[in-house]
Amino acid sequence: MTATDYNGKSEKVRNLFHQPEALQFLILSFFHLFIFSHFAHAQQQDSTFLLNDVVITGTRTPKLLKDAPIQTRVITTADIEKVDATNVEDLLQQEMPGVEFSYAMNQLKHMNLCGFGGQGILFLVDGERLAGETMDDVDFTRLNMANVERIEIVKGAASALYGSNAGGGVINIITKEGTEPWTLNLNGRLARYNERRLGGAYGVNGKRLHNMLNVNHTSIDNIHVSNAENPATQVVTTIYGDCTWNVKDRLTFTVNDQLKLIGRAGYFYREQTRVADAPERFRDFSAGLKGLWDISKDDNLEISYSFDQYDKSDYHKINKLDVRDYRNVQNIFKGLYNHYWSSNGILTVGADFMHDYLMNKNLGSKTESQNTFDAFAQYDWIINTQWEVVGAVRYDYFSDKKDSHFTPKLSVRYQPISNLNIRFGYGMGFRAPALKEKYYNFDAAGIWIIRGNPDLKAELSHNFNASADYTKGHYNFTLAAYYNEVHNKLATGVPHYLPNDDKQLYLDYTNLAGYSVYGGEAAIQARWDNGFSAKLSYAYTNERLPKDKEGHTINNQYIPARHHSLTARVDWDKQFTRNYGLRLSLNGRFLSDVKNVEFIDYYDISKGTSTIHYPAYTLWKFSAVQQFGKAFKVTAAIDNLLNYKPQYHYFNSPLTDGINLMVGVSVDIEKIK
Amino acid sequence: MRHKFLTLSTLTLFLSSLSACHGILDDIYDDPSNDVTLKEGQLYVDASSWTEWYYIDLLDTNKEWVSMSIPTEELPTLKSQPSTLSPQPGIYTYWYDVFGAGLSNHEFQSFTPTAEQPEPEKWHIAVHRNNVRTNGGAAYETSYTSMSELPESSEAFADATFTPDTWNELDVWTIREQMLQGFVGNQGIRVNPVLSSWLKLEIPPVPPAFTLNNHVFIVRFDDDTYAAIQLENYQNAAGVKCCLTINYKYPY
Repeated sequence: MTATDYNGKSEKVRNLFHQPEALQFLILSFFHLFIFSHFAHAQQQDSTFLLNDVVITGTRTPKLLKDAPIQTRVITTADIEKVDATNVEDLLQQEMPGVEFSYAMNQLKHMNLCGFGGQGILFLVDGERLAGETMDDVDFTRLNMANVERIEIVKGAASALYGSNAGGGVINIITKEGTEPWTLNLNGRLARYNERRLGGAYGVNGKRLHNMLNVNHTSIDNIHVSNAENPATQVVTTIYGDCTWNVKDRLTFTVNDQLKLIGRAGYFYREQTRVADAPERFRDFSAGLKGLWDISKDDNLEISYSFDQYDKSDYHKINKLDVRDYRNVQNIFKGLYNHYWSSNGILTVGADFMHDYLMNKNLGSKTESQNTFDAFAQYDWIINTQWEVVGAVRYDYFSDKKDSHFTPKLSVRYQPISNLNIRFGYGMGFRAPALKEKYYNFDAAGIWIIRGNPDLKAELSHNFNASADYTKGHYNFTLAAYYNEVHNKLATGVPHYLPNDDKQLYLDYTNLAGYSVYGGEAAIQARWDNGFSAKLSYAYTNERLPKDKEGHTINNQYIPARHHSLTARVDWDKQFTRNYGLRLSLNGRFLSDVKNVEFIDYYDISKGTSTIHYPAYTLWKFSAVQQFGKAFKVTAAIDNLLNYKPQYHYFNSPLTDGINLMVGVSVDIEKIK
Repeated sequence: MRHKFLTLSTLTLFLSSLSACHGILDDIYDDPSNDVTLKEGQLYVDASSWTEWYYIDLLDTNKEWVSMSIPTEELPTLKSQPSTLSPQPGIYTYWYDVFGAGLSNHEFQSFTPTAEQPEPEKWHIAVHRNNVRTNGGAAYETSYTSMSELPESSEAFADATFTPDTWNELDVWTIREQMLQGFVGNQGIRVNPVLSSWLKLEIPPVPPAFTLNNHVFIVRFDDDTYAAIQLENYQNAAGVKCCLTINYKYPY
């Protein structure tokens, strides 16, 4: 047994049975509750599972969740509150199995959702793309959970509706629209390591005008963590904290019953100090204007313009200079038209134009830009009460290298009995190579030079999926399975020397050979009248890792998905008096161990690869929310309840060094009497 | 009124962005100039190279500095462990516990004998990144943080204890091709530990932290002349580290 194996196995055992009594108690309590609550008195309430809520992401048309032809996972405001999530990372990793956030180079965050990384999952905010990337992923700290109405997650290829980067799915964050004459919420939360979260939301709602202003601030110190000796691979010694500001304003003007205009503007700022004399700064400026026109009862049109600019700079403290080294600007025009054919069909057609500009000091020419254009059409055919078929096609054109793509999608929903939906379908996904991947030329601290490849082809994927969900009384069951086959996967390849230079290593972007990922998910939810609710979700993911075109095993750019993951939540909600309520929540997640093939020596790949073992772990969080009157909420939470401390802080270890206490307050000023 | 203001603000931002294919608000950033502006009694040397020593003649600070490469080519001499040969010019490869205890935990790996470091005919001090050598001199760190506060002459430091250059095979990092795995090839050479403390490099954290020591140093050369020198800045306008702006007074 090698040292790696030994360390990995010992930590795995230690993790799983760390404080075993406490863990066993939690798991037993969970299932105990599940079984006994079954006998509680209740009424059948499909609405408790949000089946009558409207979702939009799967088809770009409003559909009731229970009638959506594409399986859509919805995370609501209530879910966000129960998890006490600050940003999308907090939320997704707790609410969805099969999601993992790990570190990329420079502690930039990388997401893996069912085998797809940040470039394969399209993040949208109110349907709009986000500019900028931090090592292939969007800046997740931009996506704070303040003022979020719901998040819709559609897994599987959706490029036929959303174009590039939607090969693995779409995550659409939908923000709130106030309905009260005015609202003012102030909230704050404190935790270890000087963690602060402060927020304010001010809404005014007139006859025609509605405005919502959000201001949020977070900060947390750098956390120094320790590691045992002889780590199997690179470890983290400092978890870098940051400070963020996020300001968003949205103004809605209802011109008349048929026409609505929405303007928005936003500013985001983040500072992280990895290097004491040169903190890194990340800024985003966004704006947009959208017109929604109900032409008739059967026709509507949406026209929008969106601007998003993401900048990175270093502040040189000694010279007092803020030097920008990255900018991505996206100007997007969109049009979307829907026509409803009586009650059995919806035609959706749309077109987008985007100008994409990239300035990066590590590009050969410093700046690159391209225009993209697309047109798509979808027909949603409701054949009868049991069958629904949705077909979509899309054409995308990229001016750089005059690249173009045609992507189809077909989805079927079958409802054999009430409250049982069976969905299956096929979708093609693609990811056009990013400008960075084509034109990069980056000296990575003298280790190697990362080089772009202008001849990269688009990554193409075929997604096959099937799911079933069934609701009965207090219970909702979901089963889903998928298979993705990816061709020409975009990634960095094998480090190499040039023929006449054995000193300098190069790492080139390339198209890898075939890659596939398959998996499934099973979930059960229950809500009872006695105030208890519970949710248990399990995901299985299996990545068949790529090789290069010559069939060589390569060093994976990112650690692959864990095969097994599970999330669980139990809530108890009770209103004791008119002025006092209490909600207790227990959230947990478990991620199995994972192995990754990595080069033994990056500088001499002839030494081959070794398999690095990354241990399993489980984390639990308990929170108590007390409601005083209608206006005041006080939250106390214990995060990492089992006081899990990773033996090694590898890039995919949870960012913790033990138990954490959190205290928060939220006040709805308009409700104070 | 409030609605009008909000409408106006949003529309203004929207319209300004329309004409901004390449972005907006460039003015919030600084455009670092490559020009170096020096005051009287200052000199500048870009010592960011890992492979060069830059030689400074304090009597002729207007010329371009002489740079001489660190020899890395292996000489056909018998290899042996450093404990039995020290000090011998060459490349001493060490492993550093970069992601653990830091630089203080290190382990010798190999030695490659090379030629002696070449030197120009005339020089006072030489710099390589955060390392400093003297030409047969010795250094003393004062408590002064400003050149203008110094006593009139170096006689005030006649009783001070000056530290000469000492053998070093841990700090002059030269070959960094295997840094990712903690292996660094260092030049074995005499450097001045006191003077080199004007710019301290620490790991952890990763990336390394540089700390500037702004005390004035007195250097006594073997011809019994003195210099007062102080590190003013270790970055250029673009933020490149080990680009040194040095205050000096010579002879002092």
